[in-house]
Amino acid sequence: MGIVGSFRDAHFLAKHRQSNSTSPGTMAHEESSPPKPSHRFQRKGFSYERLIKYFFASNAGLTIVILVLIMVFLLKEGLGFFPGYRRELETYRIAGLEFVDISRKNLTAHEQLTSLLNRAYFAEINGKSNREMRRTQEASALFNAFSDRIAPTRDLILNNPQGETDANTGMLATLRANFEKQREKALEKLLPTPHLTAGERRQLIDSLRNRPAEAAEDPPLVTTLAAEFAAAQQKNSEPLQAYRSTIDTFESAGADLGAAIMEMTESVTATKEKLQSADILEKDRKTLLSAASNAKDPAEREKLRSEAEAALAEKPDIDTPIQALLERRPDCIRLHQELKTAAAGIISQIPQSLTESDANRLLKAARNAWPVFLADLDAAPQKINRWKHTDMVPLSDAILSFLTGKDWVTGGEWQDFYGILPLAVGSLMIAIVALVIAIPVGIGSAIYVNQFAARREQALVKPVIEFIQAIPSVVLGFVGILVFGTVLREISVMDSLQWVPGFPIEERLNIFTAGCLLALMSIPTIFSLAEDALNNVPSAYAEASEALGASHVQTTFRVMIPAAFSGILAAILLGFGRVIGETMVVLLVAGNRIKIPDFSAGLGTFFQPTHTLTGIIAQELGEVPLGSVHYRALFVVGILLFVVVLGINATAHHFVNRVKK
Amino acid sequence: MFDPEKLIRKGLPKGYLKDIVVRLFLGGITYLIVVIAVLLFAKIISDGAPALFTSKFPFVDTEFLTARNETLHVFDDLQGTRHQLPASRYNEYLAAHPGEAIYNEHTFSYSGGGIAGPIVGTALLTVGSIILALFFGVSAAIYLAEYAKQSPFIHAVRLAILNLAGIPSIVFGLFGFSVFVLAVPVITATPSDRTLLAIPLFLNDWVLSFQGWNSSLIAGCATLACMILPVIITASEESLRAVPQGFRDASLAMGGTRWQTIRKCVLPYSLPGILTSSLLAITRVAGETAPIMFTAAVAAKDDLPWQGLSNPFGILSSQVQALPYHIYTLAARIPNSEYTQRAQYGSVLVFLILVAILSSGSMVLRAKMRSNLKW
Repeated sequence: MGIVGSFRDAHFLAKHRQSNSTSPGTMAHEESSPPKPSHRFQRKGFSYERLIKYFFASNAGLTIVILVLIMVFLLKEGLGFFPGYRRELETYRIAGLEFVDISRKNLTAHEQLTSLLNRAYFAEINGKSNREMRRTQEASALFNAFSDRIAPTRDLILNNPQGETDANTGMLATLRANFEKQREKALEKLLPTPHLTAGERRQLIDSLRNRPAEAAEDPPLVTTLAAEFAAAQQKNSEPLQAYRSTIDTFESAGADLGAAIMEMTESVTATKEKLQSADILEKDRKTLLSAASNAKDPAEREKLRSEAEAALAEKPDIDTPIQALLERRPDCIRLHQELKTAAAGIISQIPQSLTESDANRLLKAARNAWPVFLADLDAAPQKINRWKHTDMVPLSDAILSFLTGKDWVTGGEWQDFYGILPLAVGSLMIAIVALVIAIPVGIGSAIYVNQFAARREQALVKPVIEFIQAIPSVVLGFVGILVFGTVLREISVMDSLQWVPGFPIEERLNIFTAGCLLALMSIPTIFSLAEDALNNVPSAYAEASEALGASHVQTTFRVMIPAAFSGILAAILLGFGRVIGETMVVLLVAGNRIKIPDFSAGLGTFFQPTHTLTGIIAQELGEVPLGSVHYRALFVVGILLFVVVLGINATAHHFVNRVKK
Repeated sequence: MFDPEKLIRKGLPKGYLKDIVVRLFLGGITYLIVVIAVLLFAKIISDGAPALFTSKFPFVDTEFLTARNETLHVFDDLQGTRHQLPASRYNEYLAAHPGEAIYNEHTFSYSGGGIAGPIVGTALLTVGSIILALFFGVSAAIYLAEYAKQSPFIHAVRLAILNLAGIPSIVFGLFGFSVFVLAVPVITATPSDRTLLAIPLFLNDWVLSFQGWNSSLIAGCATLACMILPVIITASEESLRAVPQGFRDASLAMGGTRWQTIRKCVLPYSLPGILTSSLLAITRVAGETAPIMFTAAVAAKDDLPWQGLSNPFGILSSQVQALPYHIYTLAARIPNSEYTQRAQYGSVLVFLILVAILSSGSMVLRAKMRSNLKW
């Protein structure tokens, strides 16, 4: 290299100086007259130095390559979804499944209404006999816990051969001694029974203390309480006799439609199977043909081709079953009209309101749904008449059905639907819970640490929060599933908290549990970014404010926070991005029920289980066959996540950059 | 009437009460998080300690750390004594007591034995991905810090780094699955059916087949490396830029080439910084579950990754158990009972200790370096 090298490097030096004086990363323009290279390799543009430079540049380019690869492969695996899904929807229409679903939708609505009315009925009765119900539940819970604890030793005695040999008797004595020991132990730390009197509790425990291993019947108190509860139910159900019979009438009104749907289901499923096997045969034939065109040996080519000819599937006969289906149209319409007459008559017989609030809520929900149900029934005949199995299914239908579909049903016998709405709603609701908790806490603590805390406090709080960030998400999920969910469930059955909507919770894993844990995950992100933003506010702002006589609180809230607002907004957005993209916590803790939550429960909606966009990928990707429509659907969900999260992050960085300028 | 008493404002200043309330409220929130974090650790430590620690020397249950992971069998013998044995010892017991009946038998998958497999798997995944990410990441950072000029290329690289850092980990899982598991090229004599493209090499029947590495250690490492690449690049660039310009100037003035300058005068001084920040990346890699679920991890594996291999490179193409995935399996796939708690809380505690050591190590090192490196 020699002189030339050092000469070139002198230029580099000069450039570096220059760049350093302006800003790091921005270099000056190329020098106007490069030195004349002397070696012939250099003259051709090669040099050792340049090679090294290109090596490093290619590594920097690797990031672009990875990003492009991510996009290309997500698209490659995902884009095949829409044509495949379109074909599935086409089969759904041609085979007549869609026709059956027009009626089935109304039948399902009918079933849901019946169940709402039933739930209202039982909620009313149980609400009125609440005290008895609690008492019997507590007594049997205590008894069950006791039985579970003594079960192993008891089973040993019961299973042991009851022979009269000496060895066996001795052993039985040991076993009985063991049992008695275990029985004593099982009576320690029993569940609390707030609704039983102290005397009753003592009576129950005494009866358990002397309970022999062979006893099969329940303790007397449990039996008495159960009888009391049954009597209370009986007594409270008497004023509701009329309501009960109305529900029964309504329930039986749907029977005819149900039977008709059952019959139609059988025939259309058979047609669908025929169509699907024809599809598979056609695919095989195409594979054979392409193999034939690639085959080198003419004889083999001929053989493959003839096989392909043989595999040519005869077009399955779909017209006959469809005609049979269409002939049932008047029948279906008649059944719908009958159901409508019945439903319209019944609404007037349902009581306007019930006394228990829970029952009343359910009744209200049913009453509110009634007009919609009637309107659907009204519209059904028209839909049935207009339905044609020859209608085309455009690609836009598949896209629309993916983006706005309310069902994500996979692996079923009837029809797979890939509607993203339940998953997106689940992700969004969890994110809302997480952010509602994390934003005030994260920003509040950032303000405290930055503005009010002493140096020693900062040294305590900051590492702890940094440490929370380092906890792997799967550990948080583990804590949620084994500890937090159970604790929340126990809190929710406390009497003093029954005013909270949604309490007592039914599922221990739900939106709220997942949201709380995700809040814990996103607090460090929001905290550190918000604290940075506050730190970056020029100190002159605070000084000026205090010089004007503002108190510390005034300075913080009127000057510092408005000045750092963009940064704080960016912190919130990045926290949101983290919450939406998080997988393991929601997979473990969200409850994994694929259903749009029932919003009629008000704030209690947040205590229902749900499923998420990220969770569905993690749960199902390992189980689907490669290249199937389901597999591709998961990749489309991935694309959606990618786009959403990148959009959120881009917005956040936009705010950050605005601060920098 | 001059009354000095009237000039001095009595009582507390005007905004004092408000100030106190705000301070208490914000402080309360802050310490609430601290308390929650402490409670969380206390719970895991108190429940996990019985599995990991013993009362006798050396106070750590080494068997839990070094034994293979097995199914746990719980049963009573005729005397009513309860046994909890992992599968291998259970079979020994059956062989030693032929003809004896056992009662109340239950089995708990993944809950017996120890967690040697997951620990080893996580170590291999972490080391492999860090080696890959450090090599490519530091090289990229050198370009960005030492060579780069303002150009569309650099702009694109920075944009790519920013975007890569924001991608959710499950999307990396999808990417790793579709690229490293299913699509990257391998040289093989028998290309599989699902190969995307097979290019004959005209050498011993070998073909370059784009069929992927299957679910394997190397596929998992590559996926994880892609995920932490942006972290490593950003941290390395920062520590490269922290080396004073004078070092470079001096070297160049002495006639050193640019590469010599970087190698002798920049890299050695930025290496501590690079390694410290990569400790943080290691913490992240060790804790990730979603990217390795489909690319490398298995729930159950009988032997350690290097056992039963014909050549040492076979380890790269074997599947591994991993601690985070093991915890996921224990939490989600098996019913929770008193017999599974040892495995569950024990694994979590070991994992948390590992992560704690790594992250507090990086915090301490960073603080130390900041005070040490004063140019």
